[in-house]
This record gives sequence, structure tokens and C-alpha cells, in this order.
Amino acid sequence: MDLSDTPALASPYPASADTPDRIPGNAGIWVGIFCVLVEFLLLFGVYFVAKAHNPDAFLRGPDKLATLAGVTITLLLLTSGYCMLKAVEAIRRDARWISLRWVLLAIGLGLGYPLVKFFEIRWNLAHGIDGEAGVFYTVYYYLTLNHLVHLSWGLLGLGWVAARTALKAYSAQSHSGLEAAALYWHTTDLIWLAIFSLFYVLR
Amino acid sequence: MKPGPAERIWLLLIGLTGAGAWLAETGQAGWPLTLVAAGLIAIKSRLVIDYYMEMIRADRRFRYVLFAFVTIVSLLVVLSHSWGDLLRRITTVY
Repeated sequence: MDLSDTPALASPYPASADTPDRIPGNAGIWVGIFCVLVEFLLLFGVYFVAKAHNPDAFLRGPDKLATLAGVTITLLLLTSGYCMLKAVEAIRRDARWISLRWVLLAIGLGLGYPLVKFFEIRWNLAHGIDGEAGVFYTVYYYLTLNHLVHLSWGLLGLGWVAARTALKAYSAQSHSGLEAAALYWHTTDLIWLAIFSLFYVLR
Repeated sequence: MKPGPAERIWLLLIGLTGAGAWLAETGQAGWPLTLVAAGLIAIKSRLVIDYYMEMIRADRRFRYVLFAFVTIVSLLVVLSHSWGDLLRRITTVY
């Protein structure tokens, strides 16, 4: 008996997403995702080595950063990621316009990141926190700006899939491009969650 | 309206972010903060991997590679607190 036919036990995922051993997105995006993860793993290595050599700087460093900016970016990214999840869910139902609206909402929220970052850096500079304020802030600028670059690529990708969705390029049967853009976008979430804890929370 | 699975995961992630924000403002350096920070990275990342990226239903090898990234980062957070001196010694160029 196939229990998935029982409404109460039905999977929240549609049949197209419910195949074991399925690889979402496409091969190209996974090469990109694994490269980004290795890159940031190396950068996190720099963080931990710098922390081991300068424990006092990393103990006091987070106190001067604007926690509100870090939290706002986290909320924007997590909510934008939720929108992309809904966009993929919608395209699987062949609801193209609903999917497009979710992608556009994800882009709108994602654009909030560089905006918040702009005000955060302005606030930092007004408080004397520039790249030469100490090793903690040097690593902080290097990692967060590097993440901003990767997020900008993600935003360009979302813009591309929004245009493709509007042009009816995706359907319930064929939407690996939309999935791939969503996967990359969630990967930037994943990396930011670590950055947030390392620079704003940990001492 | 009852929230669906995606909404529940989103709410959970927002709640955990709130806990992180509270810690960022009030936390004192030490083991409890280190363990909670590592735990927050691990839990939130796992939610993103399994539910946002839908890897809970995907090829296990890809899912485990993503878990490996998160596990390494979380472990480094803990190890850097307890073995910072060792890390400093082995990365010092004489």
C-alpha cells in the first residue's frame, strides 16, 4: 500500500520534487555552489587563524558593530529565500504569474541587503570603523563584502529567471533553471548565517 | 489560515534569528555563548538545506556535502574557543 496516497501522510512536496536521489537544479549550479562553499570555508579559516592570533581584538570587535544591521540582513535573506521556495512551489503547479510575483518579491527583499550594507558601512565609518581599525574589522570587511559580491551574482540570476518566467520559459515539467537560481540564492543564505554568528554574535 | 510547511520553517528561522540577536546584544564571551553560536549555525543551516533547498528529498551525497560544510564551520567555532593556542602555534611562521 502506498501511504503517500493517504491525505494525512501526503508529502508536502509535489511528485516532481519527491523522487529519492533527485538532484535539484542543474549540474552547472552545483559546480558553482561547491566552489563558493570551498571559497568561504577558506575565508572562514582566515577568520579563525586571525582570531587565534588576536583573541582580544575578536573579543571586543563585535561590540562596536551595528547588530541591527546584521539582524536586518539576516531577516531579509531568510524571507527572500522563503519567497524563492514559494516561487518554485508555484511553478510546479504551473502557476507562472504567481511564481513570477514570488521571484520579484525575493528580488525586492534581496535588494534590501546592499541598501542596509550601505547604511551599515556609513554608520561604521562615522564611528571610526574602517578597514584599518584593527584585524577584526579587516576580516569583517573582507568577508562581508565578498559575500555581498556573491549575493549580487545571485540577484542577477534572480533577475534572469524572473525575465524567463515572464517569457513563459518555465513550466511544471521544465523549471530546472528556476530551481538552480533558487539553490544559489539559498546558498548565499547559508553562508550569511555563518557570517552573522561569527561577526555579530561570537566573542 | 493554518501555516504550511514553508511558513513554519520560515517562522522557526525568524525565531532563531531573534535568539541570535538577543545573544549578540547580551552574550558574554565563554563556553555557553560559543556552544549556542555554533548550535545556531548548525540548526538554522540544516533548516535551510533540508527545507529551503529541499535537500531532504534529494540525492543524499549532495545533502551530506552541504552538511559537511555546516559541520566544519560549527566545529571550528567550538575548537577555536578551546584550542585557540594550538591553532596560533601551528600557524605561526618563525
